[in-house]
Amino acid sequence: MPTVDEVPFQHPSEREFALLLDFYGIRWEYEPRTFPLEYNPDGSVRSAFSPDFYLPDLDLYVELTAQSSRLNHLKNRKIRRLKELYPDINIKLLNRRDLQQLALKYAFPSPVTSTKTKKDS
Amino acid sequence: MVRPLPGSISETYARDISRVLIESEAIQQRIREMGAQIAYDYADLRPLFVGVLKGVLFFMADLLRAVPIPLEVDFMAISSYSPETRKHGVVRITKDLETPLQGRHVIFVEDMIDTGLTLNYLLRQLQTRNPASLHVAVLFDKPSRRLVDIKPRYLGFRLPDLFVVGYGLDYREQYRNLPFVGVLKPEVL
Repeated sequence: MPTVDEVPFQHPSEREFALLLDFYGIRWEYEPRTFPLEYNPDGSVRSAFSPDFYLPDLDLYVELTAQSSRLNHLKNRKIRRLKELYPDINIKLLNRRDLQQLALKYAFPSPVTSTKTKKDS
Repeated sequence: MVRPLPGSISETYARDISRVLIESEAIQQRIREMGAQIAYDYADLRPLFVGVLKGVLFFMADLLRAVPIPLEVDFMAISSYSPETRKHGVVRITKDLETPLQGRHVIFVEDMIDTGLTLNYLLRQLQTRNPASLHVAVLFDKPSRRLVDIKPRYLGFRLPDLFVVGYGLDYREQYRNLPFVGVLKPEVL
């Protein structure tokens, strides 16, 4: 598995999260899988979702979002759809508030202070 | 419901706490109940209580006194995650247990479980030492950010998604000595 320094994270909070996982010995993969959510009439994928992390030891996908809750509608909708289509998938969404709380607890930079916008994967 | 803060705490702390979430008496009552259950479950097993410094001190002290059976206690310490410690890569045990766990009935005592990352790491470490049994007693459970699915055998309270301090819970090493659990004002953070 690649190290933190080898992964082109989309947002600083993702790197911080990976470092936290490393610290506690939890293996992780970054965006290892894309789940098709909607298809065009011709069969091509119209909408898909790539969770930020997969933690193989826990069989858990984790999605981080530094957006405010008002801007999370699209992501929440995709996660709901993901759970409908792939009911065996375990996924956890850590929202901006969660990341702020983790930042407070573990003393890493708050996601809110980051100026880089996290993509809507 | 907003409860008045006890008058015995310092003005500094009183200014920083917006409200009391769990009063001292409620904590003590719940610990007595947990202790009675543990005493029943481990009556003839001479359990070994294990805690990780520092936040568990208060809970451990009160819990042990609520378990009226022969028992032993030991402590360990680990490096907590910070911008400094993460340079070393992984969590390190900075003070190990003095008691061998082989064949012992171990109760791992924690003040709070949040993401479960720390507890998961510690349980994996302790499991390698071949205890006869290993169960978890947690006073406060904050399940909203749980990443590792850990189900404590003994649980005190579930906490809402608020930044709370007191009764061992700290913010930057402060507030641990509050006898109750309080919500920290946002402007303090």
